[in-house]
Amino acid sequence: MSTAPTITSTEQDAHELSILARPPQVLNNRGPLWVTDAVCSIVEGKTPLWWYAAITLSGGLAAMGGACILYMIVTGVGVWGSNSPCFWAWDITNFIFWVSMAHAGSLISALLFLTRQKWSLSISRAAEAMTVFAIICAGVYPAIHIGRVWFVWFLFPVPNSYGMWPNFSSPLLWDVFAVTSYLTVSSLFWFAGMIPDLAILRDRATTKVRKFAYGIASLGWLGTARQWRHYEMMYVLLAGLTSVLVVTVTTIVASDCATSVVPGWHATIFPFYFMVGAVYSGSAAVLTLLLPLRLIYPQLRELITPSQLDKVCKLLLMMGSCVAYVYVFELFNAWYSANPFERGAFWERFTGSSAWYAITCLSINLTVPQLFWFKAVRRCLPLVFILAILCNVGMWFERFMIVTSTLTHDFLPSSWKDFHPTIVDILTATGTLGIFFTLFLLFIRFVPIMSMNELKAALPGTQPLHSTEESH
Amino acid sequence: MSNHLPIAGSKDEPLHAIGARFKTPEALLGAVERLRSEGISAYECFTPYPIHGLAEAMKLPKSILSFLVLGGGASAILIALSMELIPSTLIYPLVVDGKPLNLSALPQYIAIVVALTLMIGAITAVFGMILLGGMPRWNNPLFAWDLFAKEASRGFFLAIEARDKKFSAAGLTDLLHDLGAGDVTAIHLEAPESPQGT
Repeated sequence: MSTAPTITSTEQDAHELSILARPPQVLNNRGPLWVTDAVCSIVEGKTPLWWYAAITLSGGLAAMGGACILYMIVTGVGVWGSNSPCFWAWDITNFIFWVSMAHAGSLISALLFLTRQKWSLSISRAAEAMTVFAIICAGVYPAIHIGRVWFVWFLFPVPNSYGMWPNFSSPLLWDVFAVTSYLTVSSLFWFAGMIPDLAILRDRATTKVRKFAYGIASLGWLGTARQWRHYEMMYVLLAGLTSVLVVTVTTIVASDCATSVVPGWHATIFPFYFMVGAVYSGSAAVLTLLLPLRLIYPQLRELITPSQLDKVCKLLLMMGSCVAYVYVFELFNAWYSANPFERGAFWERFTGSSAWYAITCLSINLTVPQLFWFKAVRRCLPLVFILAILCNVGMWFERFMIVTSTLTHDFLPSSWKDFHPTIVDILTATGTLGIFFTLFLLFIRFVPIMSMNELKAALPGTQPLHSTEESH
Repeated sequence: MSNHLPIAGSKDEPLHAIGARFKTPEALLGAVERLRSEGISAYECFTPYPIHGLAEAMKLPKSILSFLVLGGGASAILIALSMELIPSTLIYPLVVDGKPLNLSALPQYIAIVVALTLMIGAITAVFGMILLGGMPRWNNPLFAWDLFAKEASRGFFLAIEARDKKFSAAGLTDLLHDLGAGDVTAIHLEAPESPQGT
């Protein structure tokens, strides 16, 4: 009789502990060897048919985009719909859309790494890849929208025979440096994190070509204690630098608009506005990319667990709510400013001839993320996939609304003119989607889509007994 | 001395190291502590993922990478500021809206300074890691050991190099066996004409 209470309290403790315990990183108690096999099998297996079909489609779109860009270069920017007063239209809309999508990738991998959120380990590599590819797509636009592409080097401070230098006070020049840095740093972060995993592929390679290619790419990584020591230090440093860079780049991109005196753009909330919008659209993009992968490769269902996807949905919800807050605050600001131009710009945005951009944007971004309050929605993955795509559509319309509806109605009513995209605009934008998916498909096929070393180091029982408790 | 051991590489070439494989990270840590107490220092551990406490057990110093990155970042600040201020104030003052260009207008120069500092810091971090880690190095005598070349991602390996002053193949073989090591192998250099890394 006297032992009964003890048993009950132990059971209760165990129950409480099971509630407190973090959800497993990898389901079904899989060990490190299984993780290696599961991740490598995607790269090592025979190329599936769907992959050929998908890359043909996306490669075709990319080629079409390339052809449009070439046509624009040889003909002139007049082939686009942008014209006075709306000199920035789909080019800048798509630039902001892509560069924003990149931000969530960096944030998920860098900031969540620094805060030791281990749930993000299995999705961080794919998120980083998404970042790099989205910046490449974003980078297409600033280079070509200047019109005379052969003068693009004017953007860089290069000593030249004209004795001419760029205007360092211009946010557009800050953009050049921000995007260059962002592409460099995120590519390095992505590649450096991959070195140990590429070495695993090298060791497992069965053909000479693979052994040579992965051997070169892995730089001779052996996994010595010294290498790991420097590697871990580098990873922390890069995560820190990347986290700061994300905020800097968004702020600079937002400054393109905010430092102008155009009503509807000239607002101090813009950096925050762009930041939350960026993480919101990027989280949606991560879900859009990972959910089909999980469907195609069954082994990934144990690595990308429902609980991890649930957390991405919650991130989406939080950022979606911030976006909603900014929309409301922006309207409040316009009213509170008592500035007729500022008020007019927003009135025009919702009642003018192009009100449907704003209505589409708001009706999606104010409602769709709010559905993620419900666990049933977060757990229904097909629904999550559709909602995530909707969120990105909503975000594209937000960028479009910010850029065009502001420019088409500025101070001078006589110059007001609506913007209509041309077929070249539309095909170029579709082409960047093609570039993005082509790069992502190559990524899936040729490099490990998950950080195996980080995952394995975080699995239970893979660390020496005295340090198994989370020491950091 | 090491005749009774399996041999990797070319038998006629000098002995490079003795390699062993451990099943668990604990066993590897135990072996490292024992080797240190025996006064052996020319050894290296190879693990498929970072093992907590291994570097401490090997008494490896803290990585100097953070100082290199600090240096890289600090020099980037100077480079960026001079890149902006020299043209803007001396060579090509581009006055827009009558705004000042000198140091009193510092905020307008900050964005590029931050971007470049982060970029050069990151470049220093990655290339520093590569160089400090002894990379790029595409060949290694240890690749002659087939088990290591193929299975490095599946076990915890240790190699004691023959250049160590206290190196004795027979003594170390017994020691490694005592410590629970498996696949203890004598790794010789490969004959010069045979290709490396196969």
